[in-house]
Amino acid sequence: MFSKLLEGLYHKIFINIVIGISSSVVYVEEYEKQKLLGTYSETFNTTTIDTKMYEYIKSFTSESPYNYIALLDNSLIQGAIPTCEKKDMSNYFDKDSSKYICYQNRWASYSSKPELNFLQKTYSTVGLDFIFSPFSILSRFFKDKINSTLALYILIEEQRISLAVFDNAELLYADYLKMDTIQESEDVLLYENADDDIDLDLENSIDLDDIESIDSLENFGDIEDLDTLDDIDEFSEAQETEEEIEENADESSIDDIDGFNEDYNRFTRVQHSINNYYKDARYESKFLEKIYIADSVGSSRELKRYFEEEMFLSVYVRRLDLSAEVCEIAKAETI
Amino acid sequence: MKYSYIKPRKKTVISSELQLLLSFFTITIFMLSLTYLFLVFKDYRFSQNTQDMIAKKIELENDVATMQSQITFIEKEVLLYERVNTKNSVLKDSIENLFDLVPDRITLTQASLLKNGLILYGVTPNKDVYNFMLQAPLRSIFSETYSSFYPAQNGWLRFVSTNYIDEDELKETVVEEGEDEY
Repeated sequence: MFSKLLEGLYHKIFINIVIGISSSVVYVEEYEKQKLLGTYSETFNTTTIDTKMYEYIKSFTSESPYNYIALLDNSLIQGAIPTCEKKDMSNYFDKDSSKYICYQNRWASYSSKPELNFLQKTYSTVGLDFIFSPFSILSRFFKDKINSTLALYILIEEQRISLAVFDNAELLYADYLKMDTIQESEDVLLYENADDDIDLDLENSIDLDDIESIDSLENFGDIEDLDTLDDIDEFSEAQETEEEIEENADESSIDDIDGFNEDYNRFTRVQHSINNYYKDARYESKFLEKIYIADSVGSSRELKRYFEEEMFLSVYVRRLDLSAEVCEIAKAETI
Repeated sequence: MKYSYIKPRKKTVISSELQLLLSFFTITIFMLSLTYLFLVFKDYRFSQNTQDMIAKKIELENDVATMQSQITFIEKEVLLYERVNTKNSVLKDSIENLFDLVPDRITLTQASLLKNGLILYGVTPNKDVYNFMLQAPLRSIFSETYSSFYPAQNGWLRFVSTNYIDEDELKETVVEEGEDEY
């Protein structure tokens, strides 16, 4: 009673963290009772927590003791299963090393305990109040369709895909996919490291004077004969024109190709998972005709085309602000 | 409905620093209250003791007054005892002196010691023995001495000797004795 009274005196602050490929989005909503006072969002170049992110979050948490920090679970070992019976759960995941939540006593989502503990430890400086499964986001986001439509429901994040087949609010199949894309930033780091290695290697480089068999290289003089070939010029001209065409193509649609690759990658992964759904005897297979996509990335145009053209499925896409959705679920949890 | 894998942290308005500060204040106030209560109790006990002491003092004063009166009484008794003792010793001395006065040949049958005199009854072989051996010392002591004789059956004489001391002389003697004492 007293705590409820105090709760009314303070603002409620919902801080939501969504981890991307190489960055994290911190989305904040501030409420006075039921009234939204403001929303704030900031992207940080870290997938854990750095000083800037800590200070940003701290600036909000210091405002009110009634602050809730929510994180979208990005554990590798997680998923959803079509049962809430404890005895059946062991068919799908290791119950001892996982935490699970039952939804409407029909289906459950689970996540690895060590990874959840690791997340809590990573964010221990600010502290976590909630860790949400992407499947709970997915089921809430499509709750109007789940109860009536048999379809494949997909939540697309930057690097992860959560997919679930629901039929009349019954979960038939679920899978959590992590994309195998190599991060650009990692590439840059790799090259940087390579440069460092080269610099270091210079000190220990091979002294050419030490090579005794250098004389044997004189025989390479015979290669000069190749310049006398008549058709060599034609060959070089043809190569140049091809390169020019490729260069022009690269410049105009480099972004499209990246998006194309990502979408195709997503499509193949989802397709593989659908095959698994049809083949795996543990799951009740019903023929899929529709796909509902919750797109938080904004690159589902190609993906939609793939599903329509390759698998002849009806595709419906809804744009999703993942951070805001995590915030919604956090609010629902605190009521 | 539950959506989160973990439970939210307990929300409290009081931060840990404030909690620490408040607990210190609480302990301090508690200790001060205890000290205050202790002092109040001590004060109460002290006033109680004071009242008890006053009551005891009054009782003791009454006792002292009683004892004082007892002492006065006892002193009076002592004085009385001393007086009686003195009188008795005087009497004893007087009787001893009296018996020392009486010669062997005279036999006393009765002696009456008066306040200012002495009456002796006895038997003497003859008047001379009485006159020389008893009356002479009696006259030196008493201012007035009267003797009367009458014959006994065996031929001896019974006598009655009445002796008085002059009261003025006696008073002077007493005054002299009193002056000697002080």
